[in-house]
Amino acid sequence: MRVLTAFLAVLLGISALAAPIKIGITQIVDHPALNAVRQGVIDVLTEAGYVEGEDVVYIFGNAQGDFTVAISIAQNFLAQKVDLVVSIATPTSQAAVQVFKDTDVPVVFSAVTDPVGAGLTGYPNVTGTSDMIDVRGDLELLLELVPGLKKVGIVYNPGEANSAILTDMAIKAGKDLGIEIVPAAAESTAAVPLAAQSLLGRVQALYVTTDNTVVSALEAVVDAAVKGKLPLLVADPTSLERGALVCTGFDYYDHGRMTGEVVLAILKGTPPSEIPVKYQKGTQLWLNLDMAERIGFIFPGSIKDKATGLLFAGKRFTLEK
Amino acid sequence: MTLFLPAVEQGLIYGLMALGVYISFRVLAFPDLSVDGTFPLGAAVAATLIIAGWDPFLASLVAAGAGMVAGAFTGILSTKFRIQGLLAGVLTMIMLYSINLRIMGRPNLPLLGRPSALSTAVEALGLPYTWGLVVVAAILVLGIKLILDLFFHTEIGSAMRATGDNPHMVQAFGVNPETMVILGLALANGLVALSGALVAQYSGFADVGMGVGTIVAGLASVIVGEMLLRPRGVFWATVAVLLGSSLYRGAILVALRYGSVLGFTASDLKLLTALVVLGALMAPAIRARLRGEEA
Repeated sequence: MRVLTAFLAVLLGISALAAPIKIGITQIVDHPALNAVRQGVIDVLTEAGYVEGEDVVYIFGNAQGDFTVAISIAQNFLAQKVDLVVSIATPTSQAAVQVFKDTDVPVVFSAVTDPVGAGLTGYPNVTGTSDMIDVRGDLELLLELVPGLKKVGIVYNPGEANSAILTDMAIKAGKDLGIEIVPAAAESTAAVPLAAQSLLGRVQALYVTTDNTVVSALEAVVDAAVKGKLPLLVADPTSLERGALVCTGFDYYDHGRMTGEVVLAILKGTPPSEIPVKYQKGTQLWLNLDMAERIGFIFPGSIKDKATGLLFAGKRFTLEK
Repeated sequence: MTLFLPAVEQGLIYGLMALGVYISFRVLAFPDLSVDGTFPLGAAVAATLIIAGWDPFLASLVAAGAGMVAGAFTGILSTKFRIQGLLAGVLTMIMLYSINLRIMGRPNLPLLGRPSALSTAVEALGLPYTWGLVVVAAILVLGIKLILDLFFHTEIGSAMRATGDNPHMVQAFGVNPETMVILGLALANGLVALSGALVAQYSGFADVGMGVGTIVAGLASVIVGEMLLRPRGVFWATVAVLLGSSLYRGAILVALRYGSVLGFTASDLKLLTALVVLGALMAPAIRARLRGEEA
């Protein structure tokens, strides 16, 4: 009997080892930044030896912009008995937590700007990473770029949770720094050109945060910046070639990799409750020399010393530090 | 089973929205697009009140009231100010986007861990959470459906139905068709906002973007239900709407569950959802044709 039990235990152990881990990845919409996060997560796991199809199976969900589908995706994950959920962006994370909050399936959120404000904290099986950017640092940088800076225009979508928070933070930080923030609202990509144009003649610089809507239509903001010969700072390094004068922030692929590290820690046995929410670090600073020439802008020497990279004649050059 | 229950739950909760769309589009023959704004309006009002500590039932009721006001506004624009129905609805819809942002104070309010009207009722009745939600949702939604059926057989309700058929004839009977349109749109958008309020509590958040595509889902539910049941009379018409709504939500879940098995990717979801709905609609015709060929 004991032999039989031992045999069964070994058999079960083998089958448990053989069954691949099921990871559900849900995102709100197809967007370059969010897709980069997903790839970052997968790459970290692959490099750690979790081969797709053998050790791990991914189930992808994409709400395609329909917020009410986010909950259906999470329910489908529950029905398919996933072992772990990765939720990218705020509403998908809220839906995932709503469905999995009474289970012991770990939920790892990613690209959530304000996890506390979104209600994602305080659950033992939930942890994740935040893509909060250094808004105050960006404004200080603009002060350095434009001596005597008094007014900065922000094009943003008031309907985007992450963007609304960052714009509020900019207004508050601006008060401390003696800068007036002039917001221009664009509730869809189609409304970005008008919103950007409306700032011309009223501000001395333009600022775009990690607003998904505005970054998707960045060319319209660049167009306004060129017309008004205004410096444009975008808190997204991938926007450099598209015409931002200065890019700060981090690569969303790196953010995905940070999320992947959290997933890896959980797979290796650390309970989610022992992993605090991680905030993205490692700010980059890119200067676009092509754009500077186009609008007749000269970078002060102090900025050049801080820069981590340059765009010149359409090519990127990383600066050694 | 694990997918069947959520499909029925959602079919019922979204069914209230579909009933609202049925009233405006079918009963009143009014192409009301305010729905894309009144659905998140209900969510916004309920979420704001629940976070302020209100009872979720009361919060949902106030949300329905807010939807009625918005619906009446569309009706007044259309009848008293002679603004074309489609434009009146569009104007209300875009106004509500800003109003919803004002109500919530920000674009997204989390309701995670807050009491919800439906789950409170499940606990009060002592039902298990697994299927309790379906039972409570069914009692609520079927109750509202029966009240609607009764309403449409009262004098006002009959006048409302007649308004959609022939407003001039109704006028001859001493009923003011303009009043009927305003009243009907208030009723319709009250239901839509109530649905939005319940969906927000069910999903764990209210978001200003959650109204996108409401009218599409509502119309699809109404028409799918009509094609399947070919209802005569209000009683079966409202049954058909709820059936259509469940089928539409079920289609999304089926597409999510089996899409990858068939080699579709996550981004094919909307295409696949439409194909599942199409399949359900064409199945009887295909079966009949096959049988016809055999005979």
